[in-house]
Amino acid sequence: MLKKTSIAAALATATAVLLVAGGCATPDTGKTEAAKPAQDASAAKPAQDTPKPKAVDYTAMTPAALAEYLIFESGSYELDQPTQEGTNGRARLVQDEIQKICSLKKGEELSDEARAKVMALAAASIKYPEGGIKLGDWKKGRELAWSGFGYRTAHNPDKHAGREAGGNCYNCHELATDRTGGTIGLTLTGFGKIRGSGPDMLKYAYDMIYNANTYFPCTSMPRMGANGVLNQQQITDIMAYLFDPASPVNK
Amino acid sequence: MFKKALRTLAVTGTAALIMGAQAPEDILDALARKTNNAPYLVQSPQNRMMMPDNPAYDLVEDGERLFKTPRGPKNASLEKCDFGKGPGVLEGAYVELPRYFADAGKVMDLDARLAYCMKTLQGFTDADPAVARKHGSGSDVMKLQTYIAVKSSGMPWNPPLNHPLEKAMRDAGEVMFYRRSGIMDFGCVTCHTKEGARIRASVLPNIHKPDEWTKAISWPAYRISQENVRSSQHRLIECLWQMRYPNMKNGSDASIALLSFWTDAARGAPAILPDLKR
Repeated sequence: MLKKTSIAAALATATAVLLVAGGCATPDTGKTEAAKPAQDASAAKPAQDTPKPKAVDYTAMTPAALAEYLIFESGSYELDQPTQEGTNGRARLVQDEIQKICSLKKGEELSDEARAKVMALAAASIKYPEGGIKLGDWKKGRELAWSGFGYRTAHNPDKHAGREAGGNCYNCHELATDRTGGTIGLTLTGFGKIRGSGPDMLKYAYDMIYNANTYFPCTSMPRMGANGVLNQQQITDIMAYLFDPASPVNK
Repeated sequence: MFKKALRTLAVTGTAALIMGAQAPEDILDALARKTNNAPYLVQSPQNRMMMPDNPAYDLVEDGERLFKTPRGPKNASLEKCDFGKGPGVLEGAYVELPRYFADAGKVMDLDARLAYCMKTLQGFTDADPAVARKHGSGSDVMKLQTYIAVKSSGMPWNPPLNHPLEKAMRDAGEVMFYRRSGIMDFGCVTCHTKEGARIRASVLPNIHKPDEWTKAISWPAYRISQENVRSSQHRLIECLWQMRYPNMKNGSDASIALLSFWTDAARGAPAILPDLKR
């Protein structure tokens, strides 16, 4: 019994060495060099002659540094996966300044300085239609608001050829009462009826869809305009769905 | 009738021996009472009603046979596989994963550990369908995972954090949970930190509430909308898909870091296995 166990253990250990070596050699972006110091990492710290191979001892890294390593260097994601906007998986994972500031852990609060910075960056990102904000077609807007299609990649990429990407509004917002919307965002039922459709209100709604961080820094609301998910025409179509007295949202 | 019989078999064969025959639906009911009917737990009375006839019990049966049958180039069973509590010990093993395995030199989840044993003990390679086919009720991996996981039903999640690597992976997973990126600015945090919030009609689980979060992480579970038993790894790629993230490789270190954090978040709450979800 004892013999069998130790043979099995020895076998497992031998195979483990092979596996570890194999596992390190295969990540997708030229990390074979980084793999070499891994084997003697436990015995001695690898020489820091190049800036690259520092990341092999997970326990020597801060949680944030390890997270970045796991995302970009460990071969965990398909970083070369093409995206619908013509970039790649890596670009979807690299954070811009607002995303960095807004990745707040539980109990962490935005400083006044960071809050002001996010709001300023957001306001500067907004581009308005030439000739001002005019409501588009609410029926088109309804379609966009209720569509969750678009920009998904992972194991089942959305094919944008032949189908327009939607606004995903219904996932988080209650809109018209004919379908069930989500509650992560506030309810938009009766939006125009309650708020009216004066120029200030139109600008506010446009800004909120384009980049809601302008008013609510680090909101959960995606930057639909600033990130290029929706264009100006699509935003004003969705606005028509929210404001038009004929829209089911206001019935 | 057949399913009923299987279910009885599964329960007596596993939970009954250790936990006094607490069926998954009874674990769920107890949690619902304890949380004063947390919306996430009680959102689907229909699903709750179907739990005694969970199609996942079919996989438990098949998984046990696969586990005990000598297979692969080495013609060995998996009965010597060590899931963290000693070779062949399955009771309570799953609720203590992910954990660090000295033989592999890394932190592994159930999926990774199972693949490791199929390769080392049975001689399969990554290319063999037995190892490579990760998803679907018909896959060996899902049958084996379901069999192994059900032996922890009703037990409190208790992933070890004693080894520095376990702690490092859990902490990196926490950073990744709150990390926002991509064309929609999403992170796990966007959907899973609000109690009772819905995506469309579906109530979302809040990671800060272990008694509801345990149901969220109780995989394998039969997904009615997909007519298949699904794993934690499958849940992960589906979330990433909705988040507009690139594909994540099964068993990757990033996936295990996220699983380490999400399992730690359910610590102390009882696993509901097998579960049945929308």
